[in-house]
Amino acid sequence: MPNASDTERPPPSPTRTAAPGPRDVKGTRQALTVARAVKLVAFVAGAVLILSFPNMAPNPYILSAGVVVASYACTATAWNFMGGFTGYISLGHAAFFGLGAYATGLLIRDLSWPPFVAWLGAGAVVVLITIPVGIAALRVRGASFVIVSIAFVLILLLVSQAWKDFTGGSNGLVVPRPFPDLLRPEHHRVFFYLFVALLAVMLLVWWVIDRSRFGAGLKAVREDEDKAQALGVPTRDYKLVAYLVSALFTGLSGGMYALWFGDLDPIFQFSILLGAYMVLMALLGGVRHLYGPLLGALIVGGALEYFKLEYGDTQLHLVATAVLLGVVVLFTPNGIIPAATDLVKRFGPQDSSIREMTAAELLERNENEARRAADE
Amino acid sequence: MSDPDGLATEGLTKSFGGVRAVDGATVTFHQGRINALIGPNGSGKTTFFNCVTGMIRPDSGTVTYRGRDLTGRPPHRIARAGIGRSFQLCRVFPRMTVLENMLVAVRRTRLRELLVGARQAEDIAKARGLLVRVGIDHLENVEAGNLSYGQQKLLELAGVLMGDPETIMLDEPAGGVNPALIGRIGTLIRELNAEGRTFLVVEHNMDLVMSLSHHVVVFDRGRPIAEGPPAVVREDPRVLEAYLGV
Repeated sequence: MPNASDTERPPPSPTRTAAPGPRDVKGTRQALTVARAVKLVAFVAGAVLILSFPNMAPNPYILSAGVVVASYACTATAWNFMGGFTGYISLGHAAFFGLGAYATGLLIRDLSWPPFVAWLGAGAVVVLITIPVGIAALRVRGASFVIVSIAFVLILLLVSQAWKDFTGGSNGLVVPRPFPDLLRPEHHRVFFYLFVALLAVMLLVWWVIDRSRFGAGLKAVREDEDKAQALGVPTRDYKLVAYLVSALFTGLSGGMYALWFGDLDPIFQFSILLGAYMVLMALLGGVRHLYGPLLGALIVGGALEYFKLEYGDTQLHLVATAVLLGVVVLFTPNGIIPAATDLVKRFGPQDSSIREMTAAELLERNENEARRAADE
Repeated sequence: MSDPDGLATEGLTKSFGGVRAVDGATVTFHQGRINALIGPNGSGKTTFFNCVTGMIRPDSGTVTYRGRDLTGRPPHRIARAGIGRSFQLCRVFPRMTVLENMLVAVRRTRLRELLVGARQAEDIAKARGLLVRVGIDHLENVEAGNLSYGQQKLLELAGVLMGDPETIMLDEPAGGVNPALIGRIGTLIRELNAEGRTFLVVEHNMDLVMSLSHHVVVFDRGRPIAEGPPAVVREDPRVLEAYLGV
């Protein structure tokens, strides 16, 4: 426990191991190697499981549910570029999903672009639109930012519903299928792998940013934005870049969804619910972790698809989602990954070498050692 | 006494509603010296401080430093112009380790330099050196939120030093810390000043102000009412009136 006397460096004492001794270093290194090995095994196992899913899926319906979950994993991970790094909670990320989807569809329909060129073009469109939106939205923080993010998705919903000549309005927009020759199950299988590839790119970019100087600046914004700025971090520019990256990947996920699903309706693309799912998934898994949103998407997405299958006629899947959100906030406010890590740490070896000692602990330890010496 | 190289304000004004927190403050701080800014509670010291560091945009007036106009610049520009600052209620990044706190202050602008790993050996070496200097190097892997308040103050100072500021503005460095630590912070300030860094210290602890500073500026109702060496300011009747209301 911190106390005022801690600020004076304690006198050098043989019992106090401020710098790890030789044995500790060896132990720490071993622990690091073990941790690295566990991570590697988990990574390989996870990758193999995900990649072999289409072959294990018993029927095309389950396969299509897998595609939906993969698209959730993409959107939640994309959301986390903003929410996880900077702590800015956007409930309106469906705006970018919808923009990416509609831009892809319209570029194919109206300009006859090849599907995947249109998809990339849609990414550029999303970035261009997000620049002014981001500059405006990032002028506010906290709850105000949440409201602004919701406002943007509602504006786009109304525009896409009302502008019937352009978007098809509530009649929807049919996006031509990029692989017209493929049968349904094959189509699902291809798109499952496309979503997984997109997810892999996102995870790689997230990892690069997470360990970078840029990432350190973003995390400082999350902790204390004024303080970060006072230390010389250009917080507005950093936030805007994170917002753009997040919007780009969300838009690309939306575009991919459009190519896969082939039919867009404003009410489902520009939906608050979709934005809320992204937040829920990321929070559930843990926003500070690379795989947090992916894990959250597997759980929430899996649960959603299951509830839809079982109780599809009712709104029970929404109730179940709400209960899940409540449970997350109550029991694992930092997400599953941190909760699990803490649990492992609690039962694992305690590393006392970097732990600070209070005067009382030091005294107790000295006494114990004196007693042991006396016993000998 | 005007110093073209130093930090100066001209007619700086900031109102909150009908209250003029800073009211036409024209102040010149002495470059290379330890300047103190004192005044009764509510005299506008912290608002003045925040106007200078860019946290608050002044309504009118100018802030200049080394001949450059810094008025209304965002805080990170002012930091990068060479003015570091601490906060009145000490602020650290609570869920980052002490070392990570330090590394945030590394300033790079090129994309390539920004995307390399944050744990560059040279940056870590520099951060460790500063942590040794303030005396909390043994805590480098502890999350900053678990430090005592005094340790957080030292970390904040070390973080400011990470940016190599020529001028350091401290808002109540002795606030809320024990007497032994106040002595240590005072010594650190003196040493850093001897290396050529200018200080501007807002402080209520008169013993510290009087023993530490070369130049004292007294604020009352948003503007300076007296300035000079500590011994002179202490005897100034206007200062006594502002403080004691006599």
